[in-house]
Amino acid sequence: MKWFRGRSPVDVVGIGLVLAVAVFSLVLLVAPSIIVVIISFDTRAYVTFPPAGFTLRWYKAVFEHGELVEAMLNSLQVGLTVTVLCIVLGVPTALACVRGRFRGTTALSVFVLVPHMVPGIVLGVAVLFAGALVGVSPSIWLQSISITVFILAVMVRTVQSRLMRLDPALEEAAANLRATPFQSLRTVTFPLLMPAILAGAVFTFVEGFDNLSVAIFTHGFRDRPLPVELLALVQYTSSPIVAAVSGVQIVLAIAALVIVSMSIGLDKVNE
Amino acid sequence: MMHGPAGPSNTVETTAPVLGIGAVGKRFGATRVLQDFTLDVAEGEIVTLLGPSGCGKTTLLRCVAGFWEADGGTIEIDGQDIVDVPVNRRPVGVVFQSYALFPHLTVARNVGYALRMRNKPRAEVAQRVASVLETVSLTGFENRYPSQLSGGQQQRVAIARVLVMEPRVLLLDEPFNALDAKLRGAMQVELRQLIKRLGLTSIFVTHDQEEALTMSDRIAVMSGGKIEQVASPDEIFDRPATAYVADFIGVSNFLETEVETGHVRLPDGQTVMTDLTGGVKVMTRPHNLRLGPPEAGPWKGTVSFHRNVGPLIEYHVEASDGNVIRVSAMRQERDCPVKDRSQVSLSVIDPASCSVYPG
Ligand SMILES: Nc1ncnc2c1ncn2[C@@H]1O[C@H](COP(=O)(O)OP(=O)(O)OP(=O)(O)O)[C@@H](O)[C@H]1O
Ligand SMILES: [Mg+2]
Repeated sequence: MKWFRGRSPVDVVGIGLVLAVAVFSLVLLVAPSIIVVIISFDTRAYVTFPPAGFTLRWYKAVFEHGELVEAMLNSLQVGLTVTVLCIVLGVPTALACVRGRFRGTTALSVFVLVPHMVPGIVLGVAVLFAGALVGVSPSIWLQSISITVFILAVMVRTVQSRLMRLDPALEEAAANLRATPFQSLRTVTFPLLMPAILAGAVFTFVEGFDNLSVAIFTHGFRDRPLPVELLALVQYTSSPIVAAVSGVQIVLAIAALVIVSMSIGLDKVNE
Repeated sequence: MMHGPAGPSNTVETTAPVLGIGAVGKRFGATRVLQDFTLDVAEGEIVTLLGPSGCGKTTLLRCVAGFWEADGGTIEIDGQDIVDVPVNRRPVGVVFQSYALFPHLTVARNVGYALRMRNKPRAEVAQRVASVLETVSLTGFENRYPSQLSGGQQQRVAIARVLVMEPRVLLLDEPFNALDAKLRGAMQVELRQLIKRLGLTSIFVTHDQEEALTMSDRIAVMSGGKIEQVASPDEIFDRPATAYVADFIGVSNFLETEVETGHVRLPDGQTVMTDLTGGVKVMTRPHNLRLGPPEAGPWKGTVSFHRNVGPLIEYHVEASDGNVIRVSAMRQERDCPVKDRSQVSLSVIDPASCSVYPG
């Protein structure tokens, strides 16, 4: 044990705590995921551990299960819709909050945050009831819009924090170098915000794809999203097919993480 | 980077200034940052704004560039009022203190930016970028990103990026701040030579007096949003108009005294003529004072400190009235310097070089 030589006691305690937290979260978060993945390859038709053998039949079953495939496609559609809406609404909102010269920029940035602070279930129920009052019934569109409202804050905050770190002199330089306000936005501001927009897009897509609390009250009767379908599935079966769906989602989540870290990595090259 | 002698700046004989700033004011809430600021800059002239932090130098540049709107007054370029002209149409180029290079663009694309914004043909952009990069000795760096350049190279890109659009007026806000002391000295000389060669009318901002003396045709010493004195570096140094300017530029000794009918008497017995009356402050530079043996004159003191500053020795002499007087003398190798705590007498070498200010 030589690593603590020459370090202050505060450092030693700090490093110890960080290690402890890391191990703890690894065990609590990652271990179950690994177990789920292992179970998804099990040859037996019910959930056990350790597995009895290796098979891909549950993955095959997932893609032959019509309702599951449809639910995945529905969730994909919701995820993409939410992402597009969040970019279209969130980026201008962030620009207005940070660069805006009008009264109420602070109010605006707080206002965007409010739906995110409300528990998803409350938001979902509220949309359902309000919709019923004005004659809007649950649908894949209502679900997409509700989740957009719920998650918009994440896009706004991500872009906002990047914007606040951008040297305002860059945009002034662009203007001084003959750029019109629109040219400055297109050639300087947007390219420099790209990593943040990309990161925000990944977060909002995952939320759109994965959200249960809002979706459960707002999704269309015939357009069940994946989380709702899965919830229904686990209620009457314990076959590893559920584990296989989780396996698919884990692969997607890892892909998303890689995209985020790459876009943040690109961000650093620029600075 | 820049070779050859400075261009013949005095051959251009125009009466109308290129940049005319008239009675410009600017306030933020209750604080007046600029008051009645008036300054003309002639064709090809470099005027430096020199003043302590917070005196409004950057504010003035930002008003000229159009980033901020002045509260009143006129700003004219070639006789045209530009107050209502938007930033991107003012014939002004700004070199920012932080350089503000676009981090996502290569050197060539940074430098060509202004031309692309004006939709110049590709071939023309390429040709002009190459020529400007040659001017600032950055040929070969076209495809680097700003993060891959040294501080001095980044600064050249910032300058090249502005030169490419051939501005009528160049504004430089403390462009050397991010450089280390040695590089700074070299870049000052190079930048002055370049600006002179191109004949660019410029306002240069600094709070470093040595930089101001190096760079400028004229220096405007500012205090609290106003100009105290505008004059050539020599005049500012030799004949500062106010005690504030004298104190700000170079080292000065102030002696408080009373006027006796048309002149003041210095502590060593010599006199200086003046039109002022009553209590005054007489200013003399350290190099205009001489140390002698204690019995040589009536102005006596004790050396409290001395140090060797290259070719000069600087003494602090505590006079009998408690004033600490600074004296400098050329250092001769064989002379042994006057030791600390030794008794000396002080005398003024040339009384006519002293300045007298109201007390
Ligand atoms: N946006 C602003 N709002 C309010 N006050 C401001 C603002 N910008 C500058 N000031 C004030 O205006 C005064 C002048 O600022 P300015 O930046 O022009 O000083 P400066 O001479 O450039 O100083 P430095 O040498 O430190 O750069 C300062 O007192 C500053 O506090
Ligand atoms: Mg400044």
